[in-house]
Amino acid sequence: MESNLDLFGPLFLHTLSFWWVIVPTIFLGLIVGAIPGFSAANTIIILLPLTLVMEVEVGLVFMVALYCSSRMGAGIPAILVNIPGTAGAAATPLDGYPMARAGRGQQALAMSFVASTLGGLLTTIVALVSMPVLAEVGYYMHSVEMIVVMLFGISLIASIAARDTLKGLIAGFFGLMIGAIGTDVVYATPRGTFGFLELYDGVPLIPALVGLFAVSEAFIIIEKDSILTERGRESMRSTSWAATFEGIAIAFKHWWHIVWTSLIGLVIGVIPGAGASIASFVAYQQSRTYSKTPELYGTGHPAGLIAPESANNGVTSGTLVPLLVIGIPGGATAAIMLIVMQYHGIDFGPSLFQERPEIGYGMFMAMAVTYFFMILTILPLSRYMSRVTMVRTVYLAPLIISFTLVGAFVPREYMFDMYIGLAFGIIGYIARKTGYHVAAILIGVILGPLLETYFLRALKKSEGDIMTLFSSNLGNVLWVMLAISLLTPVYLDRRRRKAAAAAEKT
Amino acid sequence: MQQGDEDKKRSLGGELIIPVAAIVFTLYYFTTIVDSPWTAQVSAFFVGAVLIALSAAFVIRCAVEVRSGKADLGLGDLFSRADITSGRLTLLGVTLGYILFIEWAGFTITTFVFLFVGMLALNRGRGPGLIAVLAAVMAFGGYLLFILAFDTRFPRGPFETFMKAVLGDGI
Repeated sequence: MESNLDLFGPLFLHTLSFWWVIVPTIFLGLIVGAIPGFSAANTIIILLPLTLVMEVEVGLVFMVALYCSSRMGAGIPAILVNIPGTAGAAATPLDGYPMARAGRGQQALAMSFVASTLGGLLTTIVALVSMPVLAEVGYYMHSVEMIVVMLFGISLIASIAARDTLKGLIAGFFGLMIGAIGTDVVYATPRGTFGFLELYDGVPLIPALVGLFAVSEAFIIIEKDSILTERGRESMRSTSWAATFEGIAIAFKHWWHIVWTSLIGLVIGVIPGAGASIASFVAYQQSRTYSKTPELYGTGHPAGLIAPESANNGVTSGTLVPLLVIGIPGGATAAIMLIVMQYHGIDFGPSLFQERPEIGYGMFMAMAVTYFFMILTILPLSRYMSRVTMVRTVYLAPLIISFTLVGAFVPREYMFDMYIGLAFGIIGYIARKTGYHVAAILIGVILGPLLETYFLRALKKSEGDIMTLFSSNLGNVLWVMLAISLLTPVYLDRRRRKAAAAAEKT
Repeated sequence: MQQGDEDKKRSLGGELIIPVAAIVFTLYYFTTIVDSPWTAQVSAFFVGAVLIALSAAFVIRCAVEVRSGKADLGLGDLFSRADITSGRLTLLGVTLGYILFIEWAGFTITTFVFLFVGMLALNRGRGPGLIAVLAAVMAFGGYLLFILAFDTRFPRGPFETFMKAVLGDGI
């Protein structure tokens, strides 16, 4: 399965001819990505009958364009009102929101858009030319390796809440425990469900996301008349197109940062089940670890915004690799693509790239073309969308609550899920007010069921031998990497303190 | 001076809510799996044990700080009079009402009432005309975008049923 470079030029032009599908889909994707509960996967499911009757190429281009643009759209509310549109954008507000509060929302959006489009475009090209190699990653990831990857995610919780690691860990493990609610995977025994049948399938992710981020934030922001600081308000009043160009320039200045954090996203995206939420936090943590100014992270630092946005768009390309090469979807949206492709009788694997290159390579080409068109949306979107931050909180808070809570209802159509959203809102409110990170709780809720699945699988294979966790070479390498990633920030912090102390003495 | 020291004290009561809730929930969770097969227990016992240990460590740390006089068990600004004056409690009540009534009143009507009452409460009763228009535009806009255009599965009620009959397109 070698990449046919002669094919790419004509294929790119051929994919450009689908602009009439891609352009409107980009706007649809930006909207559904920006509203919690309306992920690309949900929208594709809603529009599945339409997708199935479309010509297969058109249907796939539509899905790919929606997937890419919704990923970028999810960053918009994360930056402007501290509410990520999807879990994949949960790391975006860490530095994006402080920028918006300081009246730099327009710059932040421009930076986020450049990071998303360039990161997505770059990883699409890398995925296209290195697909055979990348596909190998999926083959080597078994349950033991996946456990370490999950623990990687959990270990990030400690570093996210760097001011108080203990509180960060409590929040993360509390999330893991909440994520363990539901029936067990082997005997379907109900656990921790409080007797609610609606919790037998586990805690639904969208109401958890909506509650922890949106509802809690709405109850917090009403303390002030505006989400902007006094300086931020003045800055927003005098803002002009120059702020957008400045944001773009800052993003381009961080081009190397975009490159390596988006590649982190690509590699994590290739691993089925790992997903954008882990990738964005891994990228954020790595970016901070190797930064010369780690103390600026969390205060509105451009690199802290660029890292997660590049990474979660890198995941988008990565999830397509195992889908096309071995028929294993890397995420929910890829799983729906698999269903549509199977419906049209398309086989996966190496033969797909030889017999139907317009489908195999075409999906990546559709991605590249989508990112190309998305670049054109940067200027007007960042200029006008940032105005949201000027809306008074007396209007903004009820709007956030109503539209996000009803979004919690959409995926399963259970009224109960709106109550879950409110319950998580109260948990999130208490957590925010008392210094626990809501993103840490959310990561726990996401990883809880996954960790249990892989944990059980590993133990079953080894007949209950816990040492199986250290039985694989790749797993052991990952353990070492995990330890290094935990210890490196401590080491670098100590070195900086020593250097600062030495500088003070002299 | 003494007053200054008092002001510097951290209020840890609020910070203890999450760890205590975590311990209580974990213990409850354990009671639901105590008679279950090992496959249902192993991961939960592992995660739960770590969570209890972490929470206990935090409680001990707080106890030490309180004992040394560096902190007290106050709730800080978690619950205060500002919750009433800012309209936060009213908004919470209206939110509960929103969830209760949306099932039979549908998205558009309930959203309009929620936005109107919520915004009015937060704005301390000022500008009812503007708020009514804003609430109507947002609720109807939501109906147009999510129900009419995207056919999203939002709760339907009398307004949506009426519009369906008027438009006659089987939405």
